[in-house]
Amino acid sequence: MAEKLEPAKVLYCGVCSLPAEYCEFGPDFGRCKPWLIDNAPDLYPDLLKEANEKATDNVSDKLQSVGISSGGADAATSSSQTGTSKKEEVKRLPGGKLKKKERQEVIIEKVVRNKRKCITIVKGLEQFGIKLSDASKKLGKKFATGASVVKGPTEKEQIDVQGDIIYDIVEFITDTWPDVPERSIFFIEDGKKVQAG
Amino acid sequence: MFKKFSLEEVSSQNQVKASVQRRIRQSIQEEYPGLETVLEDLLPKKSPLVVVKCPNHLTLVVVNNVPLFFCIRDGPYMPTLRLLHQYPNIMKRFQVDRGAIKFVFSGANIMCPGLTSPGGVLDEEVDTERPVAIYAEGKQHALAIGFTKMSAKDIKSINKGIGVDNMHYLNDGLWKMERLD
Repeated sequence: MAEKLEPAKVLYCGVCSLPAEYCEFGPDFGRCKPWLIDNAPDLYPDLLKEANEKATDNVSDKLQSVGISSGGADAATSSSQTGTSKKEEVKRLPGGKLKKKERQEVIIEKVVRNKRKCITIVKGLEQFGIKLSDASKKLGKKFATGASVVKGPTEKEQIDVQGDIIYDIVEFITDTWPDVPERSIFFIEDGKKVQAG
Repeated sequence: MFKKFSLEEVSSQNQVKASVQRRIRQSIQEEYPGLETVLEDLLPKKSPLVVVKCPNHLTLVVVNNVPLFFCIRDGPYMPTLRLLHQYPNIMKRFQVDRGAIKFVFSGANIMCPGLTSPGGVLDEEVDTERPVAIYAEGKQHALAIGFTKMSAKDIKSINKGIGVDNMHYLNDGLWKMERLD
């Protein structure tokens, strides 16, 4: 009985680093699913079925809608192609990587700093091609307060303006940078209430 | 136990003398006879053994920047889950039922009913104050490492209260720290 113990090889999920069978208890099963379908299909056989069902649903929906509106065989085939290619694209991205939810919007938030002092946080201006350092200078000048560019918890940067300026800020943004439509500005009121402008 | 554990929690790191190293090897050898053959590879005599001290009387045994064992105060040395996954048969096994899994995942201690219910398995020989591996109903790999608060017989008969303390579980601070550097 003096044989050497061989270490067992464990398949750890690439997304959550847990053994693959525990992914459903991990932090984000949704992200693990595509990885699991590729690497450990036998552990979650229902996932494969789910994915297939979804795919066929999507394609049949697209076919139906295009068929009704234009009724051409060409249109139908092209839509099915785009349907599958879109699914393939979507599948390839989250194969381990985060799917970026790119929505162009400006988020304005008010955070209380002391009992009577607060700061206004403007996030998302860079998505409209606005240079944050310029924007913060303009904001500070206009409202006669301090404004600075701050790095958020992710790589995202935001502009902190001292004081409560949400009343005027919408007008100012749309005036100075006409590229920014008013409907893409949101306030945060206890969870993203779509208070457009 | 390791709910919050990061590099900042480390209070000191020391490479230990050969005598201390020998003592650690000996206690691990007594505790886990199953590891005897591989102990040479895991804790080679020549390689520098680093002992990392952390708050709460916690000591980690680290080889090549990889934590292998830990112990509380002067208690028994317990393997990290990563090590246990590689050598599953060195510790006694307890199994909890499915409903308990998500609580264990957030660090909860294991209550007796979780072990005595239909999904749970108890190893009768286990005494109190011993390290055990916790497995889950329907899963192949260890879920957590615990320290029994009651012997298996007591757990079965009394069936109330905390049966096993949850020392180290999947996705806790120690699990996330595969390497210390």
